[in-house]
Amino acid sequence: MSCQVIFQPAGRRDTVTPGKSLLEAAWELGVDLESPCGGAGVCGKCKVKIEEGFFPKYGIDSSVNHVSPVTDEERQALAAEELADGYRLACLTKINGNVLVFIPEESRGAKQVVLETGVRRSVTVNPAVRRHHLKLKSRGLGDSRGDWEFLREALIQEKNLSPEITADYCVLRKIALALRQEDGEVTVWVWRNKEVIEVQPGFHEELYGVAIDIGTTTVAAYLCSLDTGDVAATTSFMNPQVRYGEDVLSRITYAGTSTGGLSNLNQTIIEGINRAIANLAAEAGLLPRQVADLTLVFNTAMHHLTLNLEPQFLGHAPFLPAVKEPLDLKARDLGIHVCQGAWVHALPVEAGFVGPDNMAVIIAEEPYQSPEVKLIIDIGTNGEIVLGNNKFLASTSCATGPALEGAQIAFGMRAAEGAIERVRIDPQTLEVDFRVIGSSHWSGEAESMNAKGICGSGIIDAVAEMFKTGIIAKSGRFNKHLPSRRLRKNESGKTEFVLAWARETAIDQDIVITQGDVRAVQLAKAALYTGAKYLMEKFAVAEVSEVILAGAFGSYIDRENALVLGMIPDCPLEKIKAVGNAAGDGAKLALLNLDKRNEAKRVARSVKFLETSLEGDFQSRFAEAMAFPHAKDSFPHLEEILSKIPQWKEV
Amino acid sequence: MSKQERILGDLAEGVVSMDTDLAVKASREAVEEKIDAYLAINEGLVKGMNEAGRLYEEEEYFVPELLLASDALYAGLEILTPHIVRTKEGEKSKIILGVVQGDTHDIGKNLVKIMLEVGGFEVIDLGRDVPAEAFIDKAKEVNAGMIGLSTLMTTTMPVMKKVVELLEQENLKDKIRVLVGGGPVSPAFAKSIGADGYAENANNAVRVAKSLLAVE
Repeated sequence: MSCQVIFQPAGRRDTVTPGKSLLEAAWELGVDLESPCGGAGVCGKCKVKIEEGFFPKYGIDSSVNHVSPVTDEERQALAAEELADGYRLACLTKINGNVLVFIPEESRGAKQVVLETGVRRSVTVNPAVRRHHLKLKSRGLGDSRGDWEFLREALIQEKNLSPEITADYCVLRKIALALRQEDGEVTVWVWRNKEVIEVQPGFHEELYGVAIDIGTTTVAAYLCSLDTGDVAATTSFMNPQVRYGEDVLSRITYAGTSTGGLSNLNQTIIEGINRAIANLAAEAGLLPRQVADLTLVFNTAMHHLTLNLEPQFLGHAPFLPAVKEPLDLKARDLGIHVCQGAWVHALPVEAGFVGPDNMAVIIAEEPYQSPEVKLIIDIGTNGEIVLGNNKFLASTSCATGPALEGAQIAFGMRAAEGAIERVRIDPQTLEVDFRVIGSSHWSGEAESMNAKGICGSGIIDAVAEMFKTGIIAKSGRFNKHLPSRRLRKNESGKTEFVLAWARETAIDQDIVITQGDVRAVQLAKAALYTGAKYLMEKFAVAEVSEVILAGAFGSYIDRENALVLGMIPDCPLEKIKAVGNAAGDGAKLALLNLDKRNEAKRVARSVKFLETSLEGDFQSRFAEAMAFPHAKDSFPHLEEILSKIPQWKEV
Repeated sequence: MSKQERILGDLAEGVVSMDTDLAVKASREAVEEKIDAYLAINEGLVKGMNEAGRLYEEEEYFVPELLLASDALYAGLEILTPHIVRTKEGEKSKIILGVVQGDTHDIGKNLVKIMLEVGGFEVIDLGRDVPAEAFIDKAKEVNAGMIGLSTLMTTTMPVMKKVVELLEQENLKDKIRVLVGGGPVSPAFAKSIGADGYAENANNAVRVAKSLLAVE
């Protein structure tokens, strides 16, 4: 017996065998449904509503009785009115009969706003692929050379290429016709003076490559001219693997526990990459097969999932990768659709959780070019930190967790339209002014803001503003004596602060910051601070010259608020730079300049990776770093701000 | 208020206010005044720690506060423990505790250890990155009635299942209870692997552990 399941508002429908969960059915149909924990039943975000009644449009009778009974976890995660209304958690609800399912706004994945642009950096254009035009004279009757040998000799004689040069198999398949079609005029692409990867009849100028930064949540791709180094097109999209788990560990678990798990994860990202390349090419008036070269940067887990390598041992200590050195692989072996003979260069892995994306950040920021010590922080789930100058280079990774990207927060969401991204709180009235992605006005100026939730930069702003205005104490605890109706207790007796009233939202609920949310931010920022301080101490650095905040969401961060939270060691505000997607910049640099690839290889070998979480006093240092901005360390650059914090007392 | 009551109050206050100096001063006074050490610990220090645990569960206190409170607790215990009259102490229930193999995040487990000790358990802490077999071996060696497993990562949760399976293989499932916890762990997961109990946080862990052993 099979069951019909229909998802609204997407309108997708399918027949499934009984016992399948609503979440699985949604995944299979490609319906966007939030599942940050990957269907483990712990995050409560996959809320859906089972419609009740007969629906002539679909010809089905839908009922809450057509799914498995409500579980204890759902009773905890959902409010009484929601349960009464037919709301369920999709991952815990199994289909037993026909159902019409409505996915509410807050459970739908939204197109993420991604920062693709980095800072302007100069680059020497020295690409891996070079174009050569040849006009081949016709061979005499006595000349018994094969087509390839004929071409090779011309390349050696006329273009001074290496006598060891070889031809890609796909070139051999095309060469006979290519040499003859345009009367001996050919365009040849040569990779690293070693291999001919393409031969085309006639003279063609276009020579392009694509650099891709494959993040856990966001993928950014850049189409660049290999002649001029100019970026011809860019695109970014949500990593389609998020449906299998929001973080790398959930995906690694999925790869290990589901049949064909690794294959699904791999195919999903490769499809996404191919779509992106097709879009980029179209934008520049090209075909995907006209893309001659590719560089990829990613965190170590994404490196394995994209290159189809066994990821399970990355999932537990000591986090050993299958391979660390940089790789040159044939695009066709990876299933990537570009020029058939093209190579893909993957930057090297440095250590378990410090991957090629971090190498990319380093070759972009080049801390080794100056005696000034730079601290580079990648604000993402893995919180990679690099400290160094021309004398040393060290790194560590802090289990920051996804709180600063919107996960684990009651109303947290990714940086997409409708997300509160900026918050200001008046120190006297304690009124909140906020701004939402997708609109340019602040809440104080407008009635309807249609806020759906709060994203990473908004969370940082909110918690910092709450601390600056005395709403939360140094310890993170809410101040009970706050003269504001925004501070209240919810039904479970836990304290929360209202950022946006229901009328300012698109979800009909007050958007609040809970005590638990503050704690999640404390954990995340303490992890980053502790890691940074350990590196500084190990290398006897009392003060850094520059703090660089990187990450696909890095440049949306308010520098003062990041410092107020104590996310980074004390330093003058002007020394804090947000550089956006430095990993993407590094990927581009590696695409355009072979020297940068060699640089990355050297850096990967020379960076000293420290496992700071194993330090003896880690626990106490971590605990001390949870206070705002810190329990013990002084923050002279915040003296003025800290002295102005109102002390709300009992009246 | 009698002197004894005041000292017991100070002991509790020293812990819950994270005031190590007060806890130490009050512990010394308790010794001087010849207050029964066991009483001073249970009605003073432990009472304070339980209050700290309750505040932690209510999210009023957080990890740093619990750690600081435990600093005060241990400072007091250091002074009072040598004065405990041995006959008063009953047989404590033993629990083997550790972070499972492949994971090194142990702060949560350390908090659980503090609260379990305060709750009257004898905790044998195997540390972190502990293989499934090690839990079983230790439990058999010391005759423990419970094993507590912790992890922060989804990828290491299968080790918890392995511990349960090993117990079943050795026919020890009825004798040794399994309690699980940690960020990604859920009641559903605990049930699916056949664990006996799930605890959401350190304070909760004590209640669940006691109920599993049907201890008062």
